[in-house]
Amino acid sequence: MEWVRLVCAHCGFTIERYTDEELKTVPRKAKRYKYLLSKSNICPSCLGSGRLKEVRSATAEEAPKAVDAKSSTAGEKAHAAPTATPLSDELSKGPWPSHTTELKKTKYPIQMYEEALKNRTTQWGYGGYVSLPGVATGVLVRSSARPEITKGSNFVRIMDPCGNFFKASSMRKLCEIADKYAYGLLHLLSTGGDLEMLGIPTENLKAAVQEINSIGFDVGSTGDDYRTSEECIGPAKCDVTLYDTLGFREAWYNRFLDDVQYPRFPHKIKMKFAGCPNDCVRGGQKADIFVCGVFRDLPKVDQAKINEWLKKGARITDIVARCPGDAMSWDGKKLTIDGDSCMRCMYCINKVPGIRPGDDLGVAILVGGKMRGKYGPMLGRVLVPFVKAVPPDYKEVFDLLERITEVYDEHARKKERVGDFIYRNGWDQFMKWCGIKPTPMHLAEPRTNLFIHWEADEIKDERSKAQ
Amino acid sequence: MPGIGIPKLADNLPPIVKRNYGQWISHEHVRPGVIKHDSKSGEACYSVRVGMPTNARVSKDTLLLFCDLADEYSEGFFRITQRNALEFVGVDSKRIEDLIAKLKEMGFPVGGTNHSLHQTVSCAGWIHCHLAATDPAAIMKSLSDELINDYLNERYPAKLKISASGCINNCGEGSTADIGVVGVHRDLPPLKEEKLGGCELPLVMSVCPTSAIRSKGQKTLEIDAERCVHCPACSVACAAMAPIGSAMGDGVAIVVGGKAANTGKGPAMAKVVIPYLPNNPPRWPEVVSTIKKIIAVWVNGARQDERVGDWIARIGWEKFFQRTGLPVPMKIVDGYDGRSLERQRASVRFRW
Repeated sequence: MEWVRLVCAHCGFTIERYTDEELKTVPRKAKRYKYLLSKSNICPSCLGSGRLKEVRSATAEEAPKAVDAKSSTAGEKAHAAPTATPLSDELSKGPWPSHTTELKKTKYPIQMYEEALKNRTTQWGYGGYVSLPGVATGVLVRSSARPEITKGSNFVRIMDPCGNFFKASSMRKLCEIADKYAYGLLHLLSTGGDLEMLGIPTENLKAAVQEINSIGFDVGSTGDDYRTSEECIGPAKCDVTLYDTLGFREAWYNRFLDDVQYPRFPHKIKMKFAGCPNDCVRGGQKADIFVCGVFRDLPKVDQAKINEWLKKGARITDIVARCPGDAMSWDGKKLTIDGDSCMRCMYCINKVPGIRPGDDLGVAILVGGKMRGKYGPMLGRVLVPFVKAVPPDYKEVFDLLERITEVYDEHARKKERVGDFIYRNGWDQFMKWCGIKPTPMHLAEPRTNLFIHWEADEIKDERSKAQ
Repeated sequence: MPGIGIPKLADNLPPIVKRNYGQWISHEHVRPGVIKHDSKSGEACYSVRVGMPTNARVSKDTLLLFCDLADEYSEGFFRITQRNALEFVGVDSKRIEDLIAKLKEMGFPVGGTNHSLHQTVSCAGWIHCHLAATDPAAIMKSLSDELINDYLNERYPAKLKISASGCINNCGEGSTADIGVVGVHRDLPPLKEEKLGGCELPLVMSVCPTSAIRSKGQKTLEIDAERCVHCPACSVACAAMAPIGSAMGDGVAIVVGGKAANTGKGPAMAKVVIPYLPNNPPRWPEVVSTIKKIIAVWVNGARQDERVGDWIARIGWEKFFQRTGLPVPMKIVDGYDGRSLERQRASVRFRW
């Protein structure tokens, strides 16, 4: 049996290894192999970047790699010999819990932060995503611009449980791993929705990932793949949620876990699931693909409950006056909602206990939100105004999501976010590719220009239709 | 090895949540930081929200204390909210005061619900990032120190969310918040020619939003200084272009009026009102005082339930700049691409 190893061209560190047979028979591994060869990678061992080298040999063993404990990336040395940190100390004061107090309790090289505050610029160097043998995503490296303080710092992204609920028992185990292998510092929730364990020396990375796996957590969500999806608290603790966001996310992981852990898209794809148009996960602004709970019928009004609420001293007229669609009217006894004006925006539902969402529930899919990309911040726009979300496998919704990513995968340029890709091609083209028929729900307004392209075969005699 | 996925939902919910999953009928803000949810079954679930250090980097020592509190008060579970706060779910109503007192002793405030200052969000910044033009954690810490009473009490017209990002990559979500702080660079990327060997040159050229990076011969690049918008796109794609930024060039921009919810005027990205303020560690007094001024004007002028973006939409930008006294520099007029025309006024309905 012949082994194929992909190694760093600079130091010979093995990034991944496969058997010859695997590459022919397992499509996923072949795809991954091709992908790794096609791009420039950062080596977790020497932090050098560049193309990988392919080495074929009869054995699976890799060349012996010398690990010098002194060059380890942990900040032990800086921690052992503390020097004055006046600026960080200043930030430890004040009533709000301080991040510098927390940093000082750990093995984090606080001198890096102190120097940054002193020099008014960051002290960290270039970093990026790396793959370890068997761990395609989830590991990040960050080199240091001040090697005399610390050589660098790696960290792993751990995918959060649904609803970000943590058992104290499993959190204790995570703390133990963080203390054993890393700085002892956890980033509770990155804005992408992961838990991050910071400061793992290169030689500890694999052992740390194995131990994290052994307590039931998994790493992933770096590079050009689906990033960890985020969901609002949904039915676990919310009284207005319109679909089961937590169950939806679990089903999503069951179907798409491979795409979270093996990068294959032109760029990252962030997904967020909000239970209702209140959008507590900021999906419309941040997510490439945003699944938002919506309802089609009118809000349900429970007059008795409203009367009870009014007796407590609440003022319904304020709510009526502030209705964004100007759809509510109150005649002193009865509240009515005008079906033509109501936008289902959730304002009255949030404020009045007696008004609840309707019964015709589903989800809308918005596409193309992002914070920077190539053309600046963009809001997500409606691609699918309404589709039923049917548990347990949500097949119809997930097929749509897959269709969107297929279109993106096929037509987008490298390192182009979904929003930029649509901006470059136009919404009409994107909807055509996705096979979506336009409805009034898609439009903020129709176009004002008449620069419309007609194909030759679209021009035919249509007079008979008019009669 | 990977392939496990996330912990199973059914095994990872607090008992009270599991019993009433999807059965909630209403909620009520009992006091700042405490929310009560009522279930169909008649059961009530109290959640206590705790402010975390800005940017939610917490040492294991502190986390272990929270684990002990979770065991004692909330059946061995806690959760992290979307805005990085920590929440104990299912606390016995009689023991809430007890828990809050304990948290106070540990130095952690309880609040940030309903019409108050919600927990601030910030990215890694100078703690752990090579792109950051500023340190959002320190700015948000300084701001939270000053506004702690607004966090502990509900005395705003509507909720107020403040976020800070270290650079315009916006990992800290500055542009989504009511008031956002976004780090900005003003220098050109360094272009270290000796390191270009490790980069994909066509990719570096194609990620540039303004095509300011061009090829010079076969193996090197050149930067058109006139066109550079100082975004860190090339610094992300290529080690030769990093680090961008310097002590003199870097600073922060202030953006206002971002919002995700569909209520009011609907979702919107925040708009730039101040293009540059200098970095002044460790407390950033210029940034903090500017944000405090904007908040004071909003509190004075906004109607009930009106978030910053909706308030500005009602009174207009002319009144916003008049009331806050902020200057209107040319840098906040958008000239980036075709969409920028839509940001210029087409009517003469001025509010003088």
